[in-house]
Amino acid sequence: MKIDKTLDGSKLTMSVEGRLDSITAPMLESELKAGLDGITELILDFSDLVYLSSAGLRVILAGQKQMNKQGSMVITNANEAIMEIIRITDFTKILMIK
Amino acid sequence: MIKITGLTKRFGDLTVLQNVSTEIGKGEVISIIGPSGCGKSTFLRCINLLEKPTAGEIFINGENISDRRADVNRLRQKMGMVFQSFNLYSHLMIIENLMLGPQKLLKTPRQQAFDNGMKYLEMVGLAGKAYSYPDELSGGQKQRAAIARTLAMKPEIVLFDEPTSALDPTMVGEVLAVMRKLATEGLTMLIVTHEMKFARDVSTRVLYMDEQGIYEEGSSEQVFDHPQRPKTRAFIHKIRSFVHKIEGKHFDLYAFNARLEQFLKRHMFTEKKINTMLLISEELLCNILPDIEGEYMLEYSDETGETTVTVSYMKEEEENPLTSEEHSLPLMIIQNSAKDVSYHFADNKNTIKITLEG
Repeated sequence: MKIDKTLDGSKLTMSVEGRLDSITAPMLESELKAGLDGITELILDFSDLVYLSSAGLRVILAGQKQMNKQGSMVITNANEAIMEIIRITDFTKILMIK
Repeated sequence: MIKITGLTKRFGDLTVLQNVSTEIGKGEVISIIGPSGCGKSTFLRCINLLEKPTAGEIFINGENISDRRADVNRLRQKMGMVFQSFNLYSHLMIIENLMLGPQKLLKTPRQQAFDNGMKYLEMVGLAGKAYSYPDELSGGQKQRAAIARTLAMKPEIVLFDEPTSALDPTMVGEVLAVMRKLATEGLTMLIVTHEMKFARDVSTRVLYMDEQGIYEEGSSEQVFDHPQRPKTRAFIHKIRSFVHKIEGKHFDLYAFNARLEQFLKRHMFTEKKINTMLLISEELLCNILPDIEGEYMLEYSDETGETTVTVSYMKEEEENPLTSEEHSLPLMIIQNSAKDVSYHFADNKNTIKITLEG
């Protein structure tokens, strides 16, 4: 998995590429823990995310909880396979998806 | 009736049968199944000494026929054999084929041999062909005549060596019908066959042969509906199976994924289905059952298109991980794709089984 970060003031865009699974989820977790200070708008760009498991979902959920305290978080460009995982776990009710 | 102990047969350096032991009781109908070349026919031919066993002993009604001093011909008369190729004498009429053995070997009077022969021809539905020559009969009729000839010797057991495999498919049914009839009449039968439905229907016991011996045996229901060992399962259901040993904390998800993906691609799974299988497997092995030491098995049935994932591991207590609240997220993902998810505990063995539709 590869994470590209683009910071524009207090707006952070993280582009996640590859697989977000039990092995790689801790990497995203570390990036979120370390990189959200002062951020009011977090965009998770999933254009190149090809696989998502519950381990990744938990990290996304933790990110959402953190951003609820300091601003907003949006998921963008998730493909149909990723959206299906988000839908079946009812995360559509918790996450903002564009 | 027949007891076989430590039967071994080698052809040069090739070991076909290794230390095979079993017993055959009176009235049993035993089907011997297994992949080609696994030694089924050799096993049968060793029992009546058409092949000389390299080692081991064969007892018929307590008499050791593998003993050098044994009267093999007399003991062999207790065993009839039906071959793939019918081995009828082409220069003799069918009834003469049936009379020859009893007259020569059992010293049966000619008239009695004729009467008995006609009775057996009637039994196999060939009374009207008594005066025909073998060349005038179809393949199915020839095999039925061969069965009648075997019965005319009044054997205690009949060994059938793939009796339908040389037949045109349209003639298989008539031979199997005769064999079914004999089975219901209490004849002891040992049948090497590739006719799975027939074996399933008539057998009191099924021997699955592989790895130079009897790999698994049981009742028809046990072997065909609940085979226990992987090779039996793969054979019975034409299942493609993938097995991976799960080594606790050393479990390597990516190495596992690479193997599983390669297997699924080889078996023409779609990208979407591969993704689903990888996801289900990850949820099971990394999130619901992290750090277990056990076995993962994926089986795919050509017949039903169904895929089954079974993970088994040893643990002394019965603890169903599927009911745990902490696993609700991985479970939601699994249940979305699965037709059925179940947990089973027996003899300290925990098993989770996930079934997916084709």
